[in-house]
Amino acid sequence: MELQKFQYDNKTVKMFAYATILWGLVGMLVGLIAAIQLYLPAANLSLPYTTFGRLRPLHTNAVIFAFVGNGIFMGVYYSLQRLLKARMFSDFLSKIHFWGWQLIIVLAALTLVLGKTTGKEYAELEWPIDILITLVWVVFGWNMFGTIIRRRERHLYVAIWFYIATFVTVAMLHIVNSIEIPVSFWKSYSWYAGVQDALVQWWYGHNAVAFFLTTPYLGLMYYFLPKIAQRPVYSYRLSIIHFWALIFLYIWAGPHHLLYTSVPDWAQSLGVVFSVMLIAPSWGGMINGLLTLRGAWDKVRDNVGLKFLVVAVTAYGMATFEGPMLSLKSVSAIAHYTDWIVAHVHVGALGWNGFMTFGILYWLIPRLFQTKLYSEKLANMHFWIGTLGIVLYAVPMYWAGFMQSSMWKDFTPEGQLKWQFMDTVTKMIPFYIARSVGGTLYLIGAIMMTYNLIKTIKVGTFLEVEEDEAPALTNEYHAHSKDHWHRWIERKPIQFMVASLVVVAIGGLIEFVPVFLVKSNIPTIASVKPYTPLELQGRDIYIREGCYTCHSQMIRPFRSETARYGEYSKAGEFVYDHPFQWGSKRTGPDLAREGGKYPDSWHYNHMMDPTSMSPGSIMPQYPWLLEDQLDANSTMAKIKAMKRLGVPYPAGYENTAIVDMEKQAKDITANLKKDGIETLPDREIVALISYLQRLGKDIKSEGVKTQK
Amino acid sequence: MKKNKNIKALALAMLLPVAGFCQEQAVKETSTYFSNVLFITLLATAIVLAIVIVAFAGVFKNIADSDFLTNKYGNKSNNNSSTIKSVITFLMISSSVSMMAQDKVIAVVAKEDGRIGGLDQFTFYFMVFVIFIELLVLGLMFFQFNFLVKTQTPKVEKKTKKVESKILMSLTDAVPIEEEESILLDHDYDGIKELDNNLPPWWKYGFYLTIAVAVIYLFNFHVLKTGALQGQEYINEMAQAKLEVDAFMKNSTNNVDENTVKLLTESADITAGKDVFIANCAACHGKLGEGTVGPNFADEYWIHGGSVQDIFKTIKYGWVEKGMKSWKEDLSPMQMAQVTSFIKSLRGTNPPNGKAPQGDLFIESGATPINDSTLVLGDSLIIQMKADSIKAALSATVTSTK
Repeated sequence: MELQKFQYDNKTVKMFAYATILWGLVGMLVGLIAAIQLYLPAANLSLPYTTFGRLRPLHTNAVIFAFVGNGIFMGVYYSLQRLLKARMFSDFLSKIHFWGWQLIIVLAALTLVLGKTTGKEYAELEWPIDILITLVWVVFGWNMFGTIIRRRERHLYVAIWFYIATFVTVAMLHIVNSIEIPVSFWKSYSWYAGVQDALVQWWYGHNAVAFFLTTPYLGLMYYFLPKIAQRPVYSYRLSIIHFWALIFLYIWAGPHHLLYTSVPDWAQSLGVVFSVMLIAPSWGGMINGLLTLRGAWDKVRDNVGLKFLVVAVTAYGMATFEGPMLSLKSVSAIAHYTDWIVAHVHVGALGWNGFMTFGILYWLIPRLFQTKLYSEKLANMHFWIGTLGIVLYAVPMYWAGFMQSSMWKDFTPEGQLKWQFMDTVTKMIPFYIARSVGGTLYLIGAIMMTYNLIKTIKVGTFLEVEEDEAPALTNEYHAHSKDHWHRWIERKPIQFMVASLVVVAIGGLIEFVPVFLVKSNIPTIASVKPYTPLELQGRDIYIREGCYTCHSQMIRPFRSETARYGEYSKAGEFVYDHPFQWGSKRTGPDLAREGGKYPDSWHYNHMMDPTSMSPGSIMPQYPWLLEDQLDANSTMAKIKAMKRLGVPYPAGYENTAIVDMEKQAKDITANLKKDGIETLPDREIVALISYLQRLGKDIKSEGVKTQK
Repeated sequence: MKKNKNIKALALAMLLPVAGFCQEQAVKETSTYFSNVLFITLLATAIVLAIVIVAFAGVFKNIADSDFLTNKYGNKSNNNSSTIKSVITFLMISSSVSMMAQDKVIAVVAKEDGRIGGLDQFTFYFMVFVIFIELLVLGLMFFQFNFLVKTQTPKVEKKTKKVESKILMSLTDAVPIEEEESILLDHDYDGIKELDNNLPPWWKYGFYLTIAVAVIYLFNFHVLKTGALQGQEYINEMAQAKLEVDAFMKNSTNNVDENTVKLLTESADITAGKDVFIANCAACHGKLGEGTVGPNFADEYWIHGGSVQDIFKTIKYGWVEKGMKSWKEDLSPMQMAQVTSFIKSLRGTNPPNGKAPQGDLFIESGATPINDSTLVLGDSLIIQMKADSIKAALSATVTSTK
């Protein structure tokens, strides 16, 4: 057979590697600043752009989509070409992919600090960026499948199965979750409301973890681990079963983020059992990784890259065991809304994704630059300081989460809550400080790596042209009779893609369709009315400032929560919430029934300086809300958009909404004046107060016993 | 070989009915226990130990099956391996017995006082007993294993190493590294090859187990509806809490309500009331009760009544539409009485920056209006109290501004 010569595209790999390092440092730094703000709110420099509520989405987006995202592409572009014995399909598409992705990241960073957000966790980017992401993702897929079609290797290796599953599933998740109605160029409302929005969002959120942070990285593991260790992969059969089981089961587990909420019981139960069933398929990847190192553990001692990979795979094993445990309802009851979850995700992010990326970089960069790593010693130091950083990060957060949850649930024998919410916040401060120390160590490690790699790059010469040769595929293929049945689909990339799409689509369909179509899943409540125009504007300010990053709006049916916050939340209360704002963390108290708890003037003072109304508070000050003028002109478009989403405002209400809005604003200003506060009715604070005073009142008014 | 098959059959026979029994019982009785963290922890420990025992038994069996023994012992090995096999059979039985025991635990629904961590004593001790037995069995197995290893390896160290890797291999059912050529697949992806090892048994059966758990879980909650879903759980929790609180309050002197509350005059009570006030009320009513967001307490005007009973009621139930929250979930009845008494003591203290009066004039019968500067001697007690509380409040302010 005639050998064909071809060249690998190393340039795109190099650029993605640079982007990975750059955005990694940025994402971690932003995370550190946000962590420091939790005990030093003034670290936001009193700027709206750098307050916690805006930095937290910036941190998560930067780390997930910029750092890990570029890491994925770096690894995929390197391994795909070599596994298929073919150059990337199109250099032009590679360029569009690279620069398009960086453009998305820059736009994301700008819009998030400016407060342009959809208010849905990990999907905060507004609709124009959503469309851009879709396009660039298609370019990635096109480039990948083009390469696959032109391959010189008949069968697809397991790493590529994971890449294909990643491509189709992320496309599906992103498109379904991002369906939204634009109000203006940088503002949109989610198509879904309340319970449905929550279900779709956490189907997306959970599987962003699965198909952005897990499956592509498993693919990278399957290439780089055996490559670096120079050992055969432990078990082909294990690869098959754990791959298909993993992608099928993962999709269903989303509702475990919503245990004890207003999501229907059956959906919660599905979330629980599918999470439990996920243990083995997740561990399949870990086992296949670790057992591949059988007989090569001496290499782990000597090769720093391998060391990172081993810890990464171990962290993956821990996080994927902890995940199903957290999905048990009794454990979720303790851990949800606390820092325990923060610890859990950081074991995954810092351990699995971070260390995997570092390990690959330490191996890849010297190869691309045809030289040795500048300093093995420095890399070893990075390994230890990074590991220590993870431990110092995770342990205090586990402790803090467990402690705060216990305090929330404590009652005196007389039946009163033992602790005010503020007591539990004050107790968290030392843990927050310890956590930021851990984060600092981890960041220092990453900086050490950057220095080490820059030095390596300076010494080496970039391998621009890397040649290889392989025979072309012939059209005829006679399968060996003893071949595993799975070999068939490994020869058929398109069938493979369709099969994986079918497998990942099932879970979502079975969970969504009944919740959207069967009425009994969300019992309607007659007293629940749409938001007034002013409240709607206030709600958008709430979303803009990222209040949901610290405050939940979902009271679970526990004695400790109904005693503290009031009647537990009902599904029917959220039918006009586009998007839902249940939140996932209670750094501050739940706000689902905040309406009427305090006078208007309390909220005014509290926004100006939270510590004036609740001493010891770690909430940042929001002085700009008191000064900035509300954009009243947007009201008409907003009401129109809401009507299109099915919110029952009267016909033509968009034209008169502004009158109602001004009236309500004047009432609040008059109310504030009684308590000696002078403000103009067109300030943003007035709208925000109107929203906060509305929260949870629709069914509260019925429940309250009037006194005589 | 035949014997070997018998053992397998026997082991299966021991385990299968147990598993079936386990499912039935679990569905019927477990629901109330599954909300108890202690129970779940104990159960999980017991199950994990049981799995470890079964896995360990598997290791024994593999060793017994391997030519390892025959090689070492030559002709004598027949005797020996059958001894080992009988040991294994015993262990299999004992492990399945311990699993059976777990089911018994689940089946017991005893109502007793003196619960331990929310579990009745019988359940708790039984679970601990089961775990103890399992640990004992494990210890025995370890002892037996060590014994085996020692008798097997007269040539010492090198062989022990081999046995250790044999443990790993029996757990993973892997082909030894030296023989891995035999399962090396003929594909080569950029230098990466793949072995075709069997699925590790513990992994495979663990996967089956989680699937079984999933089916049982869904059956329990959604088909048989024997498990309490969150709405019912909440009702149960509230009922339980009411029972506990009522029982406590019956014997408590702390038990006052808006009908029985009286003005407290002990300085200890006033100080306690002040502490509660500073911690919870001062944000809205001012540290001296001068009023900020909420009304002034030092004047004689009251929006919702100024009697001890009225103030107590306002604190207890709140006036939600006016922005006064209900404090009955945060403060005990006694604390509310203390803070009420402290508030009453503020009358006439005339703090700086006092908010303008709101509400209606209220003067306790027999008391003198504040404006009347000449206070009558009969009020001296109250005056003394006021003076004390002003001093106390002022010093509190001073310390907090420091």
